[in-house]
Amino acid sequence: MKTVFIDCSPKQRLSASGFVATFTRMFVFGRKVQCKLRTPKDFQPIFEEIKDADSIVFCMPLYVDGIPSHILPFLKEMENKFTNKNVYVIANNGFIEGRQNEPLMQNMENFCHRANLNWCGGLGIGGGVMMNVMRIMFCVVCALSLLQVVLNGFDFSLLKDSLDDALVILILCCGIISFDLWLAYCINNGKEYGKHYTRIMLPSFVFIVCADIFFTIISLFQGGIFRGWFSKKKPTM
Amino acid sequence: MKVLLHDLKNIDLTNKADQVIVADGKYAPCQGCFKCWTKHPATCALKDSLQEMCRILGQADELTIITENYYGGYSPNVKRLLDRSIGTSTPMSTYRGGLMHHTLRYWKHDSLRVIVYGDIVEAEKETWRQMVKANSLNNGFTDYSVEFMNEWEGSVL
Ligand SMILES: Cc1cc2nc3c(=O)[nH]c(=O)nc-3n(C[C@H](O)[C@H](O)[C@H](O)COP(=O)(O)O)c2cc1C
Repeated sequence: MKTVFIDCSPKQRLSASGFVATFTRMFVFGRKVQCKLRTPKDFQPIFEEIKDADSIVFCMPLYVDGIPSHILPFLKEMENKFTNKNVYVIANNGFIEGRQNEPLMQNMENFCHRANLNWCGGLGIGGGVMMNVMRIMFCVVCALSLLQVVLNGFDFSLLKDSLDDALVILILCCGIISFDLWLAYCINNGKEYGKHYTRIMLPSFVFIVCADIFFTIISLFQGGIFRGWFSKKKPTM
Repeated sequence: MKVLLHDLKNIDLTNKADQVIVADGKYAPCQGCFKCWTKHPATCALKDSLQEMCRILGQADELTIITENYYGGYSPNVKRLLDRSIGTSTPMSTYRGGLMHHTLRYWKHDSLRVIVYGDIVEAEKETWRQMVKANSLNNGFTDYSVEFMNEWEGSVL
């Protein structure tokens, strides 16, 4: 059994889509390949990988309620190139409601019908940016606490606080983790998954405050706050 | 202001709106960096004809989009342009229609009219209805409509 994971984010590094691809891959058996789809140069190598694959997993961000534009020519070229391949989608979006991925899921289902591929369903994850930030923090926290333990002569009692942090992250991500494991189970057994939506386990008003703080800090560092952050700019070209 | 955005080749619609934008695809796709919010607001980091596109779309009271059908969504050339224009909103969030969305940089728009041409199956029409509804909420339009046609007919404008 061979599964091809396609990371459809245009970001070179640290994309949420790349992370879900890697995470899901850990629970899928058999041969697995993960490819990055950013430019038309990537098309042919991915088609080569798909040739002998059983399943294809598209991991993509939601852009303006749909598929990111650079993926569309790839899908067009893929039409009628292959048959008998199972297609799964893992979408993630910035807003908290995973359901906002519904139009994208339908686009992918419509694509499968046109391309003669088996639509096996997909998972839509709300709060993708937060998930991405948390997994990066998770790694940093783990590394720092291990360093602390080593520097203090292997005093493992120092790990307690970091374990608490890790537990909070696991609770916030419990929906994502369980729906993703179920998806991996379906990939392994060639089963249909259906369409499911999940999210970071936070009430939306708390999530909105977190998102606002996140963008304020980044805009402060990158200077956007001082360059007409909210201003109604007129075209100059 | 009335804005018309289309991906039709060799068809001149110059006088059909205050501003007519041809989605010719001679521009790069979005890189997902969010710098049009956080570094140089309302300006894209990629320097091509779409660098300030959000400033035009943001000021449209009536926006008409003519697009070829791609699986119940916009054609690549139109979608590229839309993806590159998220500077029409700000990074701050709010609720619209009971869902989380970004606050608008400009103002609430009147109407979004989408005219889809090409081979469109029934399931794709249903997707289109949901897509345009979601777009209109996401971008702060009061009203929206979707029309379908097998081939482009100039008489609808
Ligand atoms: C151009 C653009 C458009 C976006 N449109 C939406 C949207 O309509 N709804 C939403 O919830 N998130 C939207 N997002 C947010 C992305 O889906 C979110 O940042 C995602 O986690 C990115 O995943 P990645 O790291 O894999 O690229 C948009 C992001 C960009 C750059």
